[in-house]
Order: sequence, then structure tokens, then C-alpha cells
Amino acid sequence: MILFLQQTVTGICVGLAYAMIAMGLILLLRAAGVMNFAQGNLMALGAYFAYLFLGKLHLNPAIAVILAILSLIAVGIVFCCVCFFPFKRTKWPQAMLICTIGAGTVISECCLCFITTETKSVDPIVAGSLHLGSFIIPYQYFFIFGVTALMMVGLWLLFDKAYCGRVMSAAAQNKYAADLLGIPTNLTTMLTFCIVVLMVGTAGWLLAPVYRVSNSLSIFQARAFAALIIGGFGSLPGAIVGGIAVGLIESYSTYFTTTYKDVVVFGALLLVLAVRPQGILGSKVKKDKA
Amino acid sequence: MLEIKNLHAYYGAIEALKGINLTVPDGKIVCLIGANGAGKTTTLKSISGMVKHTGSISFNGEDITKENAKHVNKAGVIHVPEGRLVFPGLTVYQNLEVGTISWHGFMGRASFEEDIEKVFSLFPRLKERRDQQAWSLSGGEQQMLAIGRGLMARPKLLMLDEPSMGLAPLVIEEVFRKIREINEQGISILLIEQNAKKALENSDYAYIIEQGQILFEGPAAELEHDDRIARAYLGNFAKKA
Repeated sequence: MILFLQQTVTGICVGLAYAMIAMGLILLLRAAGVMNFAQGNLMALGAYFAYLFLGKLHLNPAIAVILAILSLIAVGIVFCCVCFFPFKRTKWPQAMLICTIGAGTVISECCLCFITTETKSVDPIVAGSLHLGSFIIPYQYFFIFGVTALMMVGLWLLFDKAYCGRVMSAAAQNKYAADLLGIPTNLTTMLTFCIVVLMVGTAGWLLAPVYRVSNSLSIFQARAFAALIIGGFGSLPGAIVGGIAVGLIESYSTYFTTTYKDVVVFGALLLVLAVRPQGILGSKVKKDKA
Repeated sequence: MLEIKNLHAYYGAIEALKGINLTVPDGKIVCLIGANGAGKTTTLKSISGMVKHTGSISFNGEDITKENAKHVNKAGVIHVPEGRLVFPGLTVYQNLEVGTISWHGFMGRASFEEDIEKVFSLFPRLKERRDQQAWSLSGGEQQMLAIGRGLMARPKLLMLDEPSMGLAPLVIEEVFRKIREINEQGISILLIEQNAKKALENSDYAYIIEQGQILFEGPAAELEHDDRIARAYLGNFAKKA
């Protein structure tokens, strides 16, 4: 029972981090029309920043967090300028996708080159664990839960309540109509890139103490992708549900195996594709020309 | 007043417009009629700065030839695109909200409730559907939403690209009635149509465009009874009338 509880809490927290990555994929897919294959590397970059600022440079945590946010926003702008703007008018949409693969390689090599080639551990931002009898959960998990929940509420407020968020989703839904209305679509796309890189980088930072800092963090991309499909491709709530589902599946699978976690996760993905191909929530927005 | 002189537009090496001259006087409905691929939409796109073009376009004395859509909107010229293109995942209300961007600004806080009320009183159906997502609306409702979204930008000239496309005859009637109502509020209208009969019935002045050139022009009532136009665009309707 204790083990079950423990696995549930870990599953949900890690799942929320997956959800952030998956949501980032969706936002980019909507705003720029590109499946971002550098997402996992961007996440690893967040973890590397955590090590760089805290482990290597020994900065004050508050300064480190601010610096990380600023650098992630800068990365977002550069990423947008390199992967999106040059291909805006291309007749071959896959060009952008391939460019993101390339960007992913560049990001991961830069991490190895300038930060560290070794697998490093990072101190959690909140140290210590909660002990309730034999039920032990590191505080970091609660921290992950809190920060991701906060970011999701922030996103919801932005896109559902704020005028500029509405304008951003309008631009994402129909670029031509948005241009005609005078929406600055270049600006909204760049903003989306920054938000996504920030989200994903934060997820990486949060997971760094749990999974340690290395380039293999980028395999989370595949799990986030599984989360997207399990939750329902195309919708943000679907990404959250799918993320948590993948987190739980992965976490419960430790009952049977630790080596073949991925097999269980992607087995579940295949099962969902066979039984309910539209995912748990399905896609709300009709894709046909409205 | 919108004045277009010697407008040429290009898609790559292809010249889609070969010197168009067109005027929309204040407070009038002017229609531009032509077959598929004649250059109707290209004319509007040139005005909105969405295609490469040369010539001169001015609105109320202001030269907007080289301006982009944002500045054209600010000048008061709004282009309601063909196929409606409402934002499917936003609600009716949110679609209208977004329409204000040209004067409201990205981070603006100005109130647009009055504008929305105006649109709702013109299109009561939109008010009923206020919180529905736009994709769930019928074609006619989407067209009204697209026009309403255009009105939110506080236009002086509204350019409508095929507002009757794909709609049932009764709904087309209603759309044209609304267009006249909008015109009565003092907004000039440049209307693009393939439904030549309806367009001529509802306009003051008409231009017929073919292969990127203006073929005829004249008061709509006269063109409606012109034999050449009747043969080419109206079938037998005009003869009966």
C-alpha cells in the first residue's frame, strides 16, 4: 500500500513534467505548424542550466533561477529565428521539422562542449523528504507538482483570460486571417516559442535532481509524444491527462520491471492506438476548414 | 474614398492583375464581379498588402499602396476573407474580441464592449451563440461572425470576399440584407461576388473583371440589364426582369 502511494505520487509529479513537454509540443504545432524534435534537447538544456548555475558556478539560487529564465527566453528567440522564420514561406513544410532535429543536435553538443560531458547530479531546490511512517517522498516532488501546476494555471490564464493570449491563439489557428486583421503574427509566434522553451526548460530543471543531468534526458521527448497520443492529440487538457497517465504507467511498471519501463509505456501507447485512437480526451477542435 | 490606379499584381512570374482602375466612393456599395481566377481576390489582397503589387492605392487621400495589413486596417480598410476563416477554436465572443487588434493593440486595455453590443444588435444570432466555439456554427453564422469580426475593427470601408459562397439561398438573402444595413450605417463596401445577380441587385456601382482586367463598369442597375453581361454572368435572369 505504501509502495503504491509512493509510486502514485512520483508518477503524478513526473507525469506533470511530461505534460509540460507535451503541452509545449502542442503549442508549437499550433503556432508554427511544426513538430519540434528538439523538445527533448531543450528539456535537457534546462537541466544543464541547473547544473551550470548551481553546481558549476555556485550562484545564489535566486540569481540562478532568474538567469536561467532569461537564458531560456534568449534560447527561445534564437530557436525561433533559426527554425521558424527562414522556413515561413517554404513550399516544403518538412524543412522546418528537419531543422528542429538539427537544432536539437546543436543544443545537445553545445551542452556537452560548454557545460559538462559527465552525468552530474544537482541538488534539489528544496532539500529533504517527507516522512510519514515508512512513506517517504522527497520534497522535490511536491516542488515539481507546485511549479508545474502553477505554470499550467498561468498558461490557462494567458490563453483563456488575457487578451494577448487570445490574439496568440487566433494567430495560431489561422495565420492568414490573423494577418488580415493586423495581428503581429511574427511576434505571437516568437512569444509562443519563448513560452514553450521556458516551460520545457523548467521541466528539465525540475527533473534534474530526480533523473540527474545528462543528454539522455532528451529521450523524454518520446514519452511526451506518447503522452500526447494517449491524452488526445491536439488539445492541451489532453496533453496534461496523457502526461499524468504516462507518468503513472511508468511509475507503476516498477512493480514488474525497472529496465523495460519504456516497453510498458509504449505498449500502453499501442494499446490506446488500437482501442481508442483519438486518445482519452479526443481532439476538440475540428480540423476541417471552419 | 478608395482609389486604385493602374494596379498590377504578381504571383511569382505570373501577372494576375494587369492594370486595374477602381474607385469606391464614400458610403456606397461597389461590387467587383468576375469568374474564378479573374483576379477579384487578388485585388483585395493587393489592397491589404498581402501580394506583391505595383500601382497606386489610396484611401481618403492617404497612400496605402505599400502598407501592410496592419496599417491598412488602421486606415479603416478591413478585408473579410473568402471562406470566412473564423478562428475555429475561439468562441464567438473571443473571435469578435480579436477583431479589435488593429486599434486595440496587443497589450491594450481599452474596452470594446460597445462595439460588441453593436455587432450583436446587427446579428442577434451571434449573441445567442456568444460562448460557442466558432467551428460549431453553421456556414451562415460563420459568415456573420466573419463580418462582425471585421466590424470590430471599426472600418470605414469593408471589403467582403464572396460572402455568399456556399450558403443556402435564404441565408444569402439575409447576408445581403445585413450588408445593406451595414452600408446604411455609413460604412462603404467593396463587394466581391460570383453571384452576379445578387451582387448587382445590391450594389450602387459595379465592375466586371476578366483575366486581370476591368472589362466593363457602370451603375449596377444599368449593368444588370446589359446584354453582354447577362449572357456572360447572369444566365437568363436579366432577360426575365
